[in-house]
Amino acid sequence: MIKVEHVTKRFASAKAVDDISFEILRGEIVGFLGPNGAGKTTLMRLLATYLAPTQGRILIDGLDVFSHSLDARRHIGYLPENAPLYPEMRVDEYLSFRAKLKGMPRRKRRERMEEMKVLCGLKDVERRIIGQLSKGYGQRLALADSLIHNPELLILDEPTLGLDPNQIRAVRELIRALGRRCTVVLATHSLAETEAICQRVFIMNHGRIVASDSPEHLVGQLQGNVSVAVEIAGPSDEVAERLRRVSGVLRVLPVGPAINVPASGSALWGRYRLECHPGVDIRPAVSGIAAAQGWPLRELSLEALDLEDVFIKLTAGRGKTPVAYGAAPPEAGELRRVNP
Amino acid sequence: MTNIIILLKRQLRAYFYTPLAYVVMVVFLVVSGLSFCRPLIQHLGEQIGLGDLLFSAPYFWVAVLATIALITMPLFAEERRTGTLEMLLTAPVTDLQVVLGKYAGALLFFLLLTLPTAAYFILLKAMAPGMAPLDWAPIFTGYLILWLIGSCFIAIGVFVSALTRSQVVAAIGCFIVVSILFFLDTARLVLPGAAAQETLAYLSSAQHIRDFAQGIVDTRPIVLYFSLTVFFVFATVKVIEARQWK
Repeated sequence: MIKVEHVTKRFASAKAVDDISFEILRGEIVGFLGPNGAGKTTLMRLLATYLAPTQGRILIDGLDVFSHSLDARRHIGYLPENAPLYPEMRVDEYLSFRAKLKGMPRRKRRERMEEMKVLCGLKDVERRIIGQLSKGYGQRLALADSLIHNPELLILDEPTLGLDPNQIRAVRELIRALGRRCTVVLATHSLAETEAICQRVFIMNHGRIVASDSPEHLVGQLQGNVSVAVEIAGPSDEVAERLRRVSGVLRVLPVGPAINVPASGSALWGRYRLECHPGVDIRPAVSGIAAAQGWPLRELSLEALDLEDVFIKLTAGRGKTPVAYGAAPPEAGELRRVNP
Repeated sequence: MTNIIILLKRQLRAYFYTPLAYVVMVVFLVVSGLSFCRPLIQHLGEQIGLGDLLFSAPYFWVAVLATIALITMPLFAEERRTGTLEMLLTAPVTDLQVVLGKYAGALLFFLLLTLPTAAYFILLKAMAPGMAPLDWAPIFTGYLILWLIGSCFIAIGVFVSALTRSQVVAAIGCFIVVSILFFLDTARLVLPGAAAQETLAYLSSAQHIRDFAQGIVDTRPIVLYFSLTVFFVFATVKVIEARQWK
């Protein structure tokens, strides 16, 4: 659906996006996560054809967004940051204007507008003037606008910014539902949001993608799950199965045979990484299992992944302003910039 | 074309949704009414040219220039400030269509604004039955030059509005530029030399108005204003396109 090849966007003073390449498949819900100024909005604007890349190229559904800009735009629904709208228009009037502009034929337009108003919960404000609506309704109207021409690709820049918790939940539900019909690309600085919606997450910082993974893994890392390294000699399937059953263990990752020297008997040394709940020390249980089964154990060590360590490692680097979590991050943490 | 009409309609509606449009209309009609009546009262009982009634009053033209600055200032500056330009330019419309839609909206508003002044002539005829029959030709050519100058200066206003995100800066900038163009012939006082005099006479709006208000249709100003309009519309499209490269 989207193919980005070595894209760089340079502004007068700095590179906002620095040599980024990635591919997004049809039907995926992908999140771009990063602190303020990481280049997320610039990247969204590049994808939405509002800006042209300084270098590299972007293909949407096989169409180059620069040379086939209009065709590409017909496939895209774009919700810019802060959901800009014309304050003097009425909700109905605005939707109708946008539908016309996007080339919806008259007969389909009425029907589609009704559908969107129901979907986005705008039914009870359809006659109201946009300037008098609350931020939440504005956001939903902009979302309805981005969906009205039934796009295959939805680009959302901070779709829940400035909404109250109930509205955030509703918008997330909506996006998740939409993800069944179209590809969704989402820029956000909220970890919880990516966790709730996305199948894949890219972490951006200083215009680069510094990590990409499924949110479970990433959130696991970022929330500071404890990781325990174990080297044990025994039949690998059985060892893994036993370790998984230890209470407090989330995942067992076989790291592969460490050093292929046979231990006593025929079993080979196997190395495993266990992801565990923080606050539970599983090491006594593991050593207990090893002793009970008669499996030689030669390493059992804690690789504590501190939350701030991981995040600073991912997003702060190169001596710039450190970025860290607040003391008690709400909802698994919004990223906050800490003033030096 | 459909897209231009959709954008034009929105622009025109946007004018009538704001109080600014009504204030501009009232002030414009008051000033133009005064510039119509003043010569009539001053020359009571004397013979005056029809063209002297409306189009030769300097404050009428100052009102025209100020009006143009006010109706073009929000076109791009406001959309840039609120961010709606991003919504507009990521819809499947070309930059040219966006510029033409806005330009046509402002031009149509200007026509609607100036058209009621034609009623002054009709009223004059109705209220002065003993008057010699009206010669409509200089009135038509007077409106022709008003709309020619209007269409050119609106293009300049659209251009200036595309350069900034502040409406105030756009209005002042536009007013300065169109005033310089309009009053260019005053430079004849300080620029000696036949070539300079001739060039300034060709460019001078005041001279064009004098000719057209007497019913003389000169094609040179028509070409001048038309080409300036095309140039500024083109320049605006380039300014809008430049966002991609900044």
